[in-house]
Amino acid sequence: MPGRLRGGIAAWPLAVKVPLSVVLIVVAAAMGLSQAVLSRLSTEQENHLQSLAGAFLDGLSTATMPAVIRRDVWEVFDGLDRARGQYSGLRALYTVVTTPDGQILASSDPDRFPTQTAMPSALENRFVPGSLTIDERAGRAWAARDLREGGILIGRLFAEIDITDLLAVRREVALTLLLVNAALTVAFGAVGYLLVGRMVHPLGILARHLRRARDGEVVAIAEPEFRRVGAEFSDAFLQFNDLVRALEERKNLAARLADEEKLALLGKLASGMAHEVNNPLGGMLNAIDTLQAHGHDPEIRRRSLDFLHRGLAGIRNVVRATLVSYKGGGDPSRLTGGDLEDLPFLIQHEAEARRLRIAWQSSLPDSVEAEGGTIRQILLNLLLNACAASRTGGLVRLTARLDDQDALVFVIADEGPGLPAPMADILTGQPAETPPKGTSGLGLWTTARLVARLDGSITLGRHEHGSQVIVAIPLQPRRPVDHAA
Amino acid sequence: MQKPAARPGPGLTRRAMMAAGVVACALSIARQRPAAAAGGLSFGLTPVFLDSDIQLLANLEAYLERATGGPVALVKRRTYQEITALLLTGQLDAAWICGFPFVQHADRLALVGVPLFRGRPLYQSYVIVREGAPARDFADLRGGIHAFSDPESNSGFLVTRCLLADLGATPDSFFSRVFFTYGHRNVIRAVAAGLAQSGSVDGYVWEVMKETEPGLVGATRVLRRSEWLGFPPVACLRSAAGQPGVSALAAALQGMAGDPLGRTVLAELRLDGFSAAEPALFDGIAAKYAQVRESL
Repeated sequence: MPGRLRGGIAAWPLAVKVPLSVVLIVVAAAMGLSQAVLSRLSTEQENHLQSLAGAFLDGLSTATMPAVIRRDVWEVFDGLDRARGQYSGLRALYTVVTTPDGQILASSDPDRFPTQTAMPSALENRFVPGSLTIDERAGRAWAARDLREGGILIGRLFAEIDITDLLAVRREVALTLLLVNAALTVAFGAVGYLLVGRMVHPLGILARHLRRARDGEVVAIAEPEFRRVGAEFSDAFLQFNDLVRALEERKNLAARLADEEKLALLGKLASGMAHEVNNPLGGMLNAIDTLQAHGHDPEIRRRSLDFLHRGLAGIRNVVRATLVSYKGGGDPSRLTGGDLEDLPFLIQHEAEARRLRIAWQSSLPDSVEAEGGTIRQILLNLLLNACAASRTGGLVRLTARLDDQDALVFVIADEGPGLPAPMADILTGQPAETPPKGTSGLGLWTTARLVARLDGSITLGRHEHGSQVIVAIPLQPRRPVDHAA
Repeated sequence: MQKPAARPGPGLTRRAMMAAGVVACALSIARQRPAAAAGGLSFGLTPVFLDSDIQLLANLEAYLERATGGPVALVKRRTYQEITALLLTGQLDAAWICGFPFVQHADRLALVGVPLFRGRPLYQSYVIVREGAPARDFADLRGGIHAFSDPESNSGFLVTRCLLADLGATPDSFFSRVFFTYGHRNVIRAVAAGLAQSGSVDGYVWEVMKETEPGLVGATRVLRRSEWLGFPPVACLRSAAGQPGVSALAAALQGMAGDPLGRTVLAELRLDGFSAAEPALFDGIAAKYAQVRESL
């Protein structure tokens, strides 16, 4: 997954982005809701506490007022003491009644607030008559009430209230909200992940097949996959399968055309070879006739036999080159000097028909790591093309060398006008998956594909007397030979 | 030292005023005579009694009604003074009062019966302090706050008042402040809570509460015990003594130990029974009363 998350949020998969968005929305909503609930709870609790404290002080005031007027210590204490624990919703830690001059008359906790002592001023400052002072950190609230009779102040009533229970309730509510919201968030996230994952699953299937197609393995989406997807994706799958079928058809067509091209080439070569074989045959038959007639003459016999030997040797060379090209031979993953030396024999027929001169120059080592068979076919195509393009009596030159970057460089030069632009595009452009329409350019298309398969490149250029094709093919480790090419 | 601005006087100098108050109170109460049911008996109870137990009162009333053969109304008031006033004005046929009011009005009152506590018609007054308080004797209480029970109580006021007279002091001069709680249990509460540093309390009440409320009483300790004095008696007007109702009440009280319900009541009161007694039983209290009067 981390690898899939690279490239920014936009590149994240939908199965992550949607649930994450849901989670973020839920978290934001939960935070807002929790804040509102807690704020409302806090306000309600404070109002409730205010009411309770008011009722508490009212009750105490009523109970102790007559005793306060009489300064009756016991009655005041008795009233305060009995009030303890009587208010279930409010836990008073202590209550104190003072005279107007601040002297304690009685308190519910005489040890802490003895009668006839002054109320501690630090504590008294916490009390604001008529309102509630709350210290949430200390978990305490302080309430005070002036005791008046006929408008005359007769005393003051103070109460410190333990509000830890209220705060505990608030904490519990907050914790509950947190847990519930966390659970909801996780649940929404998980459900979102599952749902979206399920929704985008067909996309994954499509993407997988597209990746395989990119890697050369074009496979149609199987029928069972259709059953688990909705109509939209089912339609997309059908389109994809149509595409696969079309590609298959094109591929088959290309293979068929290539075969036809090969056959055409073979026919051409066969006729060439027949021509090459036939050419010396007349002379050789004459030589035999001469031998039969004048075989007793040693000189004539020697010359006749020499002639026969040269003729048979030429026929052998032609046959051998053809055998090497089309029946295989040697190591197909290596290019040897012999692979190239045979080529002149293969184009000899074309060259002689146009009275072309063939120049051959190679500085390659005896053996290099390259697909010899494939290179032979590339060069043969280009040489045949050069023979066809060159003017009659012109020079066709093949130069082979190894450059500094360990790449094989072949230059095929002719004395022709150069390739027309559409043909040049076929040769130097990105080779199409399918061959060009018609038979024109099929050889160039095949050559371009073969060069591309060897990670090579083709460059067109001109020289003083004509045009040239430069093929660069990097040396490479052994790789399987594509016999179909 | 701050003195209370308005409270019942701790001394007897206001006795005349109190007497007037008693009469006024009695006249007021006379207009609303308590439930002395027609032909029945009205019996007053003071806070000297363990008056907080409703079940005890119900049992006592049931026993007395059965023993006397007529309806009995138990009359309770907050202070001794109210009950004494009702008794003196004939609003009650009899009342369980304290020995102090009895000697104050000995010329008008007659004894109906005296409870027996631990076999004797005697009890003590205690001066108590808080458990853990440093005071070792009565003199250590000087300058503190003292809780009395009732100005008409022997154990809850007179005994300590007499002790102060012996020291040549008065409550106001000896203590920084005194107050009345109008109940022996309240005195124990005040001392236990620390509201007062010391208190004067009925020894019988303290001992019984030690069993019934050990948590509360355990927070106090007895600093000083008085000599044995006459237990708070049941009294009636002399003019009513010998009347059938009062006689039936006296017989019922003295026969209580022989009756199952009566024994239940006595057990709850931690008393052994009631006996007839002579006024001389209260001479000790009378002597203290006289001593205090002389000190004024």
